Amino acid sequence: MSLLQEEREIILGNEYVDTFDFSEVEAFVKNASKELFISHHFKKKNKMLVQPRGGFPTYKQQFALYEFFVEANVDVLPLTIDSNTRLNDYATAKKMLRLSEENDMDMLNGYPLVTHGYRTTRKMITHFDKPVSLRHGTPDARLLIETAIASGIFEIEGGPITYLLPYSKNFPLDKAFLYWKYVERVCANYSKLNEPINRESFGPLTATLVPPSITIVIQLLEMLLSLEEGVKSFSVSFSQQGSMNQDIVTGAVIKKLAKYYAQQIDCGDAAIHLVYHQWMGAFPANKDFAEQLINLSTVIASMVGADKIITKTREEATGIPTKEANAKTVADTQYTLGILNGLPNVVDEQEEEVLTEEVNAIMEAVFNDPADTLWRKVFNSIKNGIIDVPFSPHIINHNEMITIRDANKNIRIIKRGGVPIPDRCFEYEKAQCDLNKSTTGIVDDIIHDIGIMQ
Amino acid sequence: MKVITGVVGNDIHVVANRLIDLSLQARGYEVFNLGVNTYLEEFFDAAVETGAEVLMISSLNGEAEGWAREVKLLKAKYKQLDELIMMIGGNLVVGSGNTEDIVSRYKNYGFDLVCHQVDLNTGLDSLEAFINDGKIKERCQ
Repeated sequence: MSLLQEEREIILGNEYVDTFDFSEVEAFVKNASKELFISHHFKKKNKMLVQPRGGFPTYKQQFALYEFFVEANVDVLPLTIDSNTRLNDYATAKKMLRLSEENDMDMLNGYPLVTHGYRTTRKMITHFDKPVSLRHGTPDARLLIETAIASGIFEIEGGPITYLLPYSKNFPLDKAFLYWKYVERVCANYSKLNEPINRESFGPLTATLVPPSITIVIQLLEMLLSLEEGVKSFSVSFSQQGSMNQDIVTGAVIKKLAKYYAQQIDCGDAAIHLVYHQWMGAFPANKDFAEQLINLSTVIASMVGADKIITKTREEATGIPTKEANAKTVADTQYTLGILNGLPNVVDEQEEEVLTEEVNAIMEAVFNDPADTLWRKVFNSIKNGIIDVPFSPHIINHNEMITIRDANKNIRIIKRGGVPIPDRCFEYEKAQCDLNKSTTGIVDDIIHDIGIMQ
Repeated sequence: MKVITGVVGNDIHVVANRLIDLSLQARGYEVFNLGVNTYLEEFFDAAVETGAEVLMISSLNGEAEGWAREVKLLKAKYKQLDELIMMIGGNLVVGSGNTEDIVSRYKNYGFDLVCHQVDLNTGLDSLEAFINDGKIKERCQ
């Protein structure tokens, strides 16, 4: 038996799992409907796929949510996981699910997939026969993704960097890399049986003034860590940044470089897709304004040429959205996409050149780390501050980089910390900003820059 | 002057914490930022370890009130912390409340300076005034 299979048996021997039947699951994936695979839809569709967010505690509620989504002409269904399951606390998830079922009150902020189990969940997924995307935020997602794939969920979001640096203070990053290696391998193995399982990285990170160079570097590295384990379908992503031009430039550079770096490790045969998140920062409390913002995001996603868009709702500022608001966003976004025709082709060569140079310089510094494997190089680079994510709560993150917005709302780096932004690019970034301010003035600007959409 | 800062309890809201760090540095303090998700013991340990003069705790989700009740009891176990200036700020209650009541409650919990929903720079100005006031008193004695 391979080491991986041994590890799988330990993971799936968990007391909260109702006997995992390996050969039955394998047969299920092998014979599963092509409709369930988002990788299949990416291949055959020439329109941007629309995917909302959403997860409820009970089977009944989740089923009802999916009915609303299907009615609104959804392309990809979400399955958002509750926070207890994300932290591997299956005992609490189980208790809270029972309380939710008995009291008609939500005691969980998502669907506790491990607690429901794959036999139950699969009934729902195959009933709707649409691709489902797993949205979580789990550093150790081994049991969760096994359960997801066995349920018919063939897109797995996340990664060791993007699911850790924005969400956790103390979870050891080196462990996360090893847990995600398991995820990549399991996805790669299942991908041989039918259409490929798609992996998606979480580009928004902290959604707080993250410069595009950092976003792209992390997207590329998670892509490489996935492809080197044999994954054949991968989505890089980023969220609306606040400047339409910067989004278009980011989209162009990330597409070009994802292809380039995949070829560098002889994985040019893998399909790479681009996902765009509607504004992930603070939303306006006015629900009509929120809808305008969502609409603007959809227009920009089209300009960027995204393969999939992930939506927000008009209730973003108020709390967990209702299924009605969630479905409305899907219908509205589909409508906007339908009438967006004859988009101009915008290219900003100078900005593309600067951003490409920045990304290549950081990637080179990561590759030059003396460690023997890619994940260790990436780990060391985060530890050394070569990669620095603004506003990450994690203790390993250096927090030395400072970014503000220029007059056109582009995010600019005004202090690079240990990140090897080339001098020429750094001078260019600073030249776009008004730097004749005291630090107090800059702090006030940062507060303003975070809340620009409110 | 050395300042320990951080967000108390299981609160993971990091934005203001980073801005406090930057602003304190701009005002010339030596900052030891413990970040989000920090427990009271960690604050006091850090104060002992660094010899800091100021402890500045913040809270966004309001869970500070639950933790603040333990401050006096816990601080009494540390022998060297009698001179430590204790400051707290942010949203200091879950939900809403009357500022005057909140401030007096927190003073009873053992804080010298309480900034409930106060603008960052106003809060830091009040710290400076408190420190200068203390120095004047010292000179007069």
